[in-house]
Amino acid sequence: MTRANRNTLLVGLAAAILVGGVISYFASAWPDGLEKTQADLGADSPRHGGVEAPPVAFHEYSLKWLGEGFWANAAAGVAGALLVLAILLGVGRLLRRRREAGGASPASQQVG
Amino acid sequence: MHIGPGFLSPAVWGSTAAVSGAALAASLAVANRRLDDRRVVLMGVMGAFVFAAQMINFPVLPGTSGHLGGGFLLGVLLGAPPAIVVMASILLVQALVFQDGGVEALGANVLVMGVIPALVGTAVRRLWRRRAGPLADVFTFLGGLVAVLLGATGVIVLLWLSAALPGSVSLWQAIGVMDLVHLVIGAAEGAASVAVVRFVLKTRPEAVFEGAGAPVEMAST
Repeated sequence: MTRANRNTLLVGLAAAILVGGVISYFASAWPDGLEKTQADLGADSPRHGGVEAPPVAFHEYSLKWLGEGFWANAAAGVAGALLVLAILLGVGRLLRRRREAGGASPASQQVG
Repeated sequence: MHIGPGFLSPAVWGSTAAVSGAALAASLAVANRRLDDRRVVLMGVMGAFVFAAQMINFPVLPGTSGHLGGGFLLGVLLGAPPAIVVMASILLVQALVFQDGGVEALGANVLVMGVIPALVGTAVRRLWRRRAGPLADVFTFLGGLVAVLLGATGVIVLLWLSAALPGSVSLWQAIGVMDLVHLVIGAAEGAASVAVVRFVLKTRPEAVFEGAGAPVEMAST
């Protein structure tokens, strides 16, 4: 990985952790635009069968074992950001491996 | 703006899942052709950042908050195909790990917060490719606003198609209530998009546009 890429990674992650892990604790707890609209219209009770994922480690944006406070929220923000990053880097690597195995044009490839 | 579990009818969540699934498959195929390290790193980092930014609910009206979507911003910075891949990853994590959005509504949420705003973003991207400046700023602000309003309208149409609105409310009334709130959220989306696009273009122009002011150290093989 080039230095420029590493710097982007570090700066971007720092921003994500600051925003998701720290600042998000002070976010508004009011319902969001859709929730409020559904409530105002009397359309806020589910009418069909739906699937909500089980709260395995996180209860919404709080790590279960830390209650509801700052650190529970910080853990959710940091874990979520890292998970998204990992998925995308994984997808990128997988796609490139498949392309290389397929013998596609190497012209645009970069190995850092 | 995540559609929760139980609001969409099977026909609606099924068909939106099919549309978003096809868009995602096509995006992966297209993105693959131009995927170098710079691009993958930018996708990953922007994905992490948009996930985090979505956690910031800001007050828009008394009793109502909003948060950024980010699909438009990603469309401007990455083009639609990678932006759709990034938004699908974020929404997947939100639905499966944080119970944000119904699992069955994932395709619908990818459509209204990923595919639609990413397509608006990619249209604005052309302006930035030509020249950064006040014109690109203005259209980025307006594009963010339009992207949010289109997505918000889309949500209401999907709820309406699912018979999830009370009979006493017409489709147009519902769109009016939803879009009024999202006018404010969309303005915030537009302003935030201008700021982030400017910052990323100033610091890593060559990761956004190929051949744009690439620093010497980029060319390692």
